[in-house]
Amino acid sequence: MSVFFENFDRHAHGEGLKGHSTHYCAGCGHGLIQKFLAEAIEELGIQDRTVAISPVGCSVFMYYYLDVGNTQAAHGRAPAVAIGHKTANPNAIVVSYQGDGDLASIGLAEIMQACQMGMPMTFLFVNNAIYGMTGGQMAPTTLPGQKTMTTPKGRPPITGQPLRMAEIVAQIDGPVYVERCALFDAKQRNRTKKAIHKALQLQVENRGLSFVEILAECPTHLKLSPVEAEQWVKDKMLPFFPLGVKKDEVREPWFNLGTPSFDPQRIASVIGGTDHAPERFGGGFPTHLHEHDVAIKFAGAGGDGAQTIAMLITKAAINEGWDSTHIPSYGPESRGGTSYADVHIADGEVLSPACPHPQVLVAFNPPSLEKFGPTVRPGGIVIYDSSVIPQPPDLGDRITMIGVPCTAIAQELGKVMAKNMVALGALQAATNVFPAESFLSMLRKVLQNNCAMLELNEAAFERGQQAAVRQSQAAV
Amino acid sequence: MVTNDNGGPKAKAAGKPKPYLLPEFCKACARCIPACPRDCITMSTEINPLTGRTPVVVDWERCNGCGLCLSACPEPYGLTGVMADEIEFELVDPKVLFGDKHTTAPEPVDIPGTRLDMPELEPMILKGTHASAIGAILAGCRHFYGYPITPSTEGAELLARLLPELDGVFVQAVSEVAAVNMIYGCGGAGLRSMTFTSSPGFSLMLEGISYMIGAELPGVFFNVMRGGPGLGNIAPEQADIKLVCRGLGHGNSHAIVLAPSTPQEMLDLTMLAFELSFKYRNPVVLAGDGYLGQVTGRVTLPRQMVKPGLPAWAVHGDAVHRKNFITSIALIEQDLEKHNEHLLDKYARISRAEQRFATYKCDDAELLIVACNTPARMAKGAVRDLRARGIRAGLFRPITLWPFPIDGLLPLLEKARGVLMVEAGPGQLEDELRLAVSHAGVRLPPVSHVRRYGGVLPQQHEIDEAALAMTGHTAPALTGGAS
Repeated sequence: MSVFFENFDRHAHGEGLKGHSTHYCAGCGHGLIQKFLAEAIEELGIQDRTVAISPVGCSVFMYYYLDVGNTQAAHGRAPAVAIGHKTANPNAIVVSYQGDGDLASIGLAEIMQACQMGMPMTFLFVNNAIYGMTGGQMAPTTLPGQKTMTTPKGRPPITGQPLRMAEIVAQIDGPVYVERCALFDAKQRNRTKKAIHKALQLQVENRGLSFVEILAECPTHLKLSPVEAEQWVKDKMLPFFPLGVKKDEVREPWFNLGTPSFDPQRIASVIGGTDHAPERFGGGFPTHLHEHDVAIKFAGAGGDGAQTIAMLITKAAINEGWDSTHIPSYGPESRGGTSYADVHIADGEVLSPACPHPQVLVAFNPPSLEKFGPTVRPGGIVIYDSSVIPQPPDLGDRITMIGVPCTAIAQELGKVMAKNMVALGALQAATNVFPAESFLSMLRKVLQNNCAMLELNEAAFERGQQAAVRQSQAAV
Repeated sequence: MVTNDNGGPKAKAAGKPKPYLLPEFCKACARCIPACPRDCITMSTEINPLTGRTPVVVDWERCNGCGLCLSACPEPYGLTGVMADEIEFELVDPKVLFGDKHTTAPEPVDIPGTRLDMPELEPMILKGTHASAIGAILAGCRHFYGYPITPSTEGAELLARLLPELDGVFVQAVSEVAAVNMIYGCGGAGLRSMTFTSSPGFSLMLEGISYMIGAELPGVFFNVMRGGPGLGNIAPEQADIKLVCRGLGHGNSHAIVLAPSTPQEMLDLTMLAFELSFKYRNPVVLAGDGYLGQVTGRVTLPRQMVKPGLPAWAVHGDAVHRKNFITSIALIEQDLEKHNEHLLDKYARISRAEQRFATYKCDDAELLIVACNTPARMAKGAVRDLRARGIRAGLFRPITLWPFPIDGLLPLLEKARGVLMVEAGPGQLEDELRLAVSHAGVRLPPVSHVRRYGGVLPQQHEIDEAALAMTGHTAPALTGGAS
């Protein structure tokens, strides 16, 4: 009996009879199951490692009795809490103890996920076909025609049939062992005791998840004597809930989470930190664009590569020692929708990261140019893909328009995808925001694991530069 | 009184334990009666004066010690198997039988965490959610539980990649409801865990957060706020401020709410969130807007990282912590009142000690602009503009939204002739400010606001214009100011 507290101090402060009596009604199945659980914990020598999770329902107070680590969970959430405990300490023996409302109604999603994951944990499912704690309402396991407080004329067909959890759970790959037992006579109690022992042992051996459904008596809400309730379970419940082993798989021990690392060197490497200071190529801040805050907008469709070059320029700017931000904005589609990127480069601190009025716009398609062209500040520069925008709108003479056939050049180079690099080269040449080497060195860094792409991208960048220079000269 | 009166305690040992019963602990369910193959057990006819029940009586002469009645008794201290010669006295006090020591579990002890030096690293270029994820790693978090939701998911995706490399755990939960309860379990085990979510997902976590507050469990929740109500959209909004400050599930619940405004703060405040969460044994909420989650910027790494310890109160599943239990239920009204008083005292301590804010040019500010998260960046730009136009504007930026940093605001209100609230939402920050000012018993100067909704952020020129209107200036046309 050592796994039970010697005095139930948590039960009404352990005073009087409550120090040694449970809160359960006379003849309730919970007491028996918790006794078998306590005995199995003792037999397996796992009292110190056990974390027992109490549900919401009559067994909410299981922690009054079991001298193990105890956690009380929200209604139906015990399997999720169990996953939290087990992943926090894989050495803990986690027991989730739940009733039929908790496990088979409000907590269906949680038990399904726990079973699907199959981590070695032990689930004891107490099925008494009724809600006990709330006062005898219908459970998902209530029998057809059974009278409860919410089915006063008997469970009607509209509420469906009882849910057979052991069979459902046995269908899922995760669990290794699923059995339905009962408590109505000595033989069944002996089976239940063995099943609970086995369910814990499989966890101790790291073999997998076990699920034991136990048909239990609720004499109070069945309005029967405890002995009559035993008979009721036997006569009425068994036809719906056949006893027996539903699944018993031999699985080799597999569960091993390792010990989390707190090694600073390893962490520095994992997060991608470097002590290598980046080379700087620029001189001062590009004040010819703005005295302390340059705003550049990239706009196109998803797949145009606007985000990639926006990120490149942001990284280059930070490497040059400035503050810089990049903020993407997408349409709702994962691919193929609109794709805009706002970049700021500031000598002090970037304030608003949005670009409602950029100094520079790079537009990859006509809608983007039409939408954002008019927002460009007077004196600003618009670079557009003249392959797809043959007729740019007139934005007035205070905007420098530079058409670069990004798509055509990229096609010539053999990869349409490279059109964003053509645009970036054009942007560099047209704005001289930073020297070319600043971009190229960042490009080399980004593509360090994909050298095959480097040559193409460098060529695209260079062709973009040349095209922009030609355009600027033509404009002059 | 011992009821084994037919042969009683002096019955001869049969080599097997026989059922012994303290009648006070018998609930008279009678399940043992049909369990006995020899019909040794009967109901007594005498009503026990303590329980009002009629306990069973065992005939020890006929009993052969088969034990079947023992496994039929649902009470832990009901029918107990004892050897006949162990019973040599009449028992009155259960303590004599069961002992006075209630558990053999040891007193739990705190294992303190340590701070370890990081190698000197260059600043990184990080997206906001990534900065937060790296902050979590540096704060010692090795457990993540979450459910994908735009625009918070990149943080989770990064941790899905990095945590396994550090032998940590990443679990994609079946729902946000499950995710918060995994955090409940992991936090209950004494470990640092977090989630990234966004408004609709955060709504689903509120049940669990209330339980965590009730059970006093730590955990960090990043709500990258998006447009609402309902499914809303995935653009940035600040319309969950009411929720995170005043609506953390049912009951008397509060949590520290930290509001970063740059990628750097995404990292720094995430680290702080873990520290505060364990310091106060309470969840901590990071409230960002969708913009902050997405924005990439420069982030300087801290010189130290955290290797967490294990708190004494944890239910870890080991011998040291066996004595502990985690619950948010207290059935007796006086107990729950006491627990609430304890929580209120904690909230008061937090309110005194953890107010955080930042100011920009507030020393002589006549116009106080108040904003947090991304709108605070626009507001800062506006302050610079307005100063250039000769208007003494300043920015007050709450970093803790709860507790509202009223102590920092009050001295500034003495000089301010107007307050301009800038929000990407319907005025929930203003409500927090007004509530805090009201509690402080101070009169506010005239308050105006710039509010945008649905994912539209207030822009700098709108703040400029509102400020100019407030100060009696007319708004000049927009020139070459920062955009």
